Amino acid sequence: MDQASQELDRLVRKFVYDQAMQRGSLPSLAETSTALAISLVDVQSAFQRLAEGHILVLQPEYGEILMANPFSSVPTSFLVELDDFSCFGNCIWDALGIAAMLKRDARIKTACGDCGTALELSVVEGRVQGDSGIIHFALPAHLWWEDIVFN
Amino acid sequence: MLFFRSEEHVDRWCRQWNLSRGALLNLDQGWRLAQAWYGPDRREPDWRRKTVDEAEALFDELGLTSPFWNLRVSPAG
Repeated sequence: MDQASQELDRLVRKFVYDQAMQRGSLPSLAETSTALAISLVDVQSAFQRLAEGHILVLQPEYGEILMANPFSSVPTSFLVELDDFSCFGNCIWDALGIAAMLKRDARIKTACGDCGTALELSVVEGRVQGDSGIIHFALPAHLWWEDIVFN
Repeated sequence: MLFFRSEEHVDRWCRQWNLSRGALLNLDQGWRLAQAWYGPDRREPDWRRKTVDEAEALFDELGLTSPFWNLRVSPAG
């Protein structure tokens, strides 16, 4: 990859995570293009390269961001509440990951994957507490990116 | 990765979806994994994804040593 593309990808990655970490939602192609004064085509290319590098997951139909791990652009069963905004993790690991990435206290509202009983966890001053439960990884680690949406 | 009330609920879910049981982590392990994986600031210019060696070393450090955590078949997640 040429140096200009690498620099563009770094810029776009920083913008995506700036937005995610400041407001909990992920920017659109158009928003990124406007904010960074970069053409839509160049942003699409950057998103695509970042997806190929497993840094973003894109919505196949439109090329918009579906995931910038640990954040999800669509509602999931892993709601993360902070004092000033709420957002969604892609899975329980990612919900914990949002609190870890932000290094802030957070409440995680989820449900038992089996019976749907509401479960709530809190991260307070770097420690996790709340309802008892267990995390299940269904896919072996080497298959995580074979089906990242299921995973 | 889903959160379950107990191992019994994990097994019931696996039976329902005809899946083998994968790996189980307690909350403390999950939190430590989340901190190690997502702690480094992805906005930094020199941030990069973990290499397979780095990811496997992290799994080892957290006691995740079964073949389930082997990444050698394909790149790290």
